[in-house]
Amino acid sequence: MGDATLTRGTYDMLEIKNLHVKIEEDDTEILRGLDLTVPKGEVHAIMGPNGSGKSTLSYVIAGKEDYEITDGDILWNGESIIEMSPDERAASGVFLAFQYPIEIPGVATMTFLRTAVNAVRTARDEGELSVADFMRAVKEKAGELNITMDMLKRPLNVGFSGGEKKRNEVLQMAMLEPSMCVLDETDSGLDIDAIRIVSEGVNALRSPENAFLVITHYQRLLNYIVPDKVHVLSKGRIVKTGGKELALELEESGYKDFIDEAA
Amino acid sequence: MGDPATKLTVVRNAAEDGFISAWAARRDALPGDATVAKARTEAMARFEAHGLPNRRVEEWKYTDLRAAIKEALPLSDDDDASVQAVETAIAPLLATGAARMTLVDGHYAPNLSNPETAGDAVLVTPLASALEDDAFAAAHAHLPTVPQHDTTVALNTALMTDGVAIHVQATPERPLHIVHVMKAGTPALAVTRNVLSVADGVSVTLIETYVSLEEAGAQVNSVTQVGVGANANVRHVKLQAENRDSTHLASWVVDLAASANYQAVQMTIGGALTRNQVYLTFNGPDAEAHINGAYLQRGNQHCDTTLVIDHIHPGCTSRETFKGVLDDQARGVFQGKIMVKPEAQKTDGKQMAQALLLSEEAEFDSKPELEIFADDVVCGHGSTSGAIDDELLFYLRARGIPEKKARALLVQAFVGEALELIEDEEELHGALMALAAEWLDPKST
Repeated sequence: MGDATLTRGTYDMLEIKNLHVKIEEDDTEILRGLDLTVPKGEVHAIMGPNGSGKSTLSYVIAGKEDYEITDGDILWNGESIIEMSPDERAASGVFLAFQYPIEIPGVATMTFLRTAVNAVRTARDEGELSVADFMRAVKEKAGELNITMDMLKRPLNVGFSGGEKKRNEVLQMAMLEPSMCVLDETDSGLDIDAIRIVSEGVNALRSPENAFLVITHYQRLLNYIVPDKVHVLSKGRIVKTGGKELALELEESGYKDFIDEAA
Repeated sequence: MGDPATKLTVVRNAAEDGFISAWAARRDALPGDATVAKARTEAMARFEAHGLPNRRVEEWKYTDLRAAIKEALPLSDDDDASVQAVETAIAPLLATGAARMTLVDGHYAPNLSNPETAGDAVLVTPLASALEDDAFAAAHAHLPTVPQHDTTVALNTALMTDGVAIHVQATPERPLHIVHVMKAGTPALAVTRNVLSVADGVSVTLIETYVSLEEAGAQVNSVTQVGVGANANVRHVKLQAENRDSTHLASWVVDLAASANYQAVQMTIGGALTRNQVYLTFNGPDAEAHINGAYLQRGNQHCDTTLVIDHIHPGCTSRETFKGVLDDQARGVFQGKIMVKPEAQKTDGKQMAQALLLSEEAEFDSKPELEIFADDVVCGHGSTSGAIDDELLFYLRARGIPEKKARALLVQAFVGEALELIEDEEELHGALMALAAEWLDPKST
């Protein structure tokens, strides 16, 4: 896994160039010239202190509308995606695993999954899945993640535990077959057993054809999802890039050096 | 205004004058024996004294009928319609397999009705015949009496032409369906009265559907009196899908005996102006009532739900959940009054009214009223209104669901919470959910 030179196509998967982002109706700049490239087949981790712009980065990649891109670009297989809607990005392969998955009363998890899978398949010209094929796929993937049929009948994320919500995110990821997965602090609020189950689910999806951006505050998750590269984000920029050993260094020394360096 | 020495004269508008002359012209031809005729005369006197309710009447603060109703439409005549036209109009509900009783322009149409399919458990009499029959009045003396202060109900008593009187003496095999069809090609008035009497321990579902076969805007005034026996279970579902030029005034007057269980769902899609009133009285201890509603309105539609729940016996539970979806300049009104009399200890009464505003010009007015005179009770109310939550929308879109579909899913989920009450009746529940989906995306069907 992670030998990019063997699998890289014409383009890198994700290229972020000099990205400047501020919150709409606010002059505060959150991302200040961020550069990042994640090639196909690799797993990159973004680590950084609170307030460094980690969640903003994940939302901007997924296309949330509360942000304004004032400069720079996000290229996806060589093409800019910043004018694309969130659903168009999802159809083109971008998947964001939310730090806080949203609860939606009145929408059964199964209905939601089927609507999403068929929307994405339609947009990709793959045709909708038959009910039987869909059910077969859900049962298989849910089983691997220890998600019961009973959970899938319940309203989306309503009354789910923290671990159940995150496993449900990974199930959605597995069903939608994305090529670029952004995991926003997937480890937050999880105990060690839950982190293991979620990580195994993510690792099972790793392939030479897709890429992962794992955003986390703590090194712990990276023991389970081992990255090819680790980037340190501070005050809206990548201030250091290294191998997986960089995460361990950060665990020892904290973010203090980088905060000072960026300031 | 008159001379101070004489009685004040009431200034009436053209509509009020019109209803009064319609009564004068038709009173001798309207059905009913001497007792009924007397009730009609008294009701008309109340209407003459107070006229149409207006915004100075507290219960009508948000729905000024005197301003909204400009003229009295002519009282419709006995009419007929084709089975096919009726079945097309109620197509979504055909799957319920209900025994049907059809009223066309306010008159019972036997050839469009098949109450016999409900079996011996159910006795159905057209109201016009029932009103002529002393035995019927005696047999239904226990039915709830209509409220005296409400002049829309008084108008109904004075002018009612027909309706359906149903006595359920044992649990029928299928639901019962009153189909109220407006067929007149010119604007017309239909005034109907339905009666549902349910014997002790019996379970029954009654559906009332209101549809228009033509474009002409109608005035519909309908009252349904429901008497639920001890330990009986009643499902009462109403669908208002008339054309968008119609004025629709519907009042349910419901009495529950001890340990009765009453579950009601009202769905309103049609109408220019709709007022759904429910007067519910707990006439025995330990009964339970759930009244839910969903209304979907756009353009200049106006939908008012006014509930008066009267707890006069101990240990009863009342729940109301109303969900409104309002687009364009549509307006939703919710007035929920819960009264708890001193004897009604251990009352558990809660209500929730919510509106989803799809446009900045849509309006929702909510007025809860709790009047509690017992000390050992649990009562509460809540009300919310707002736009579709952007966070929910983003989550769905981030999973590839296009915006329009995502919005529809969220609106259906919102409405769905009110319809959950009848989830176990799959055909009926499915039909109402499908109507909500169709409202959201008329082009898809």
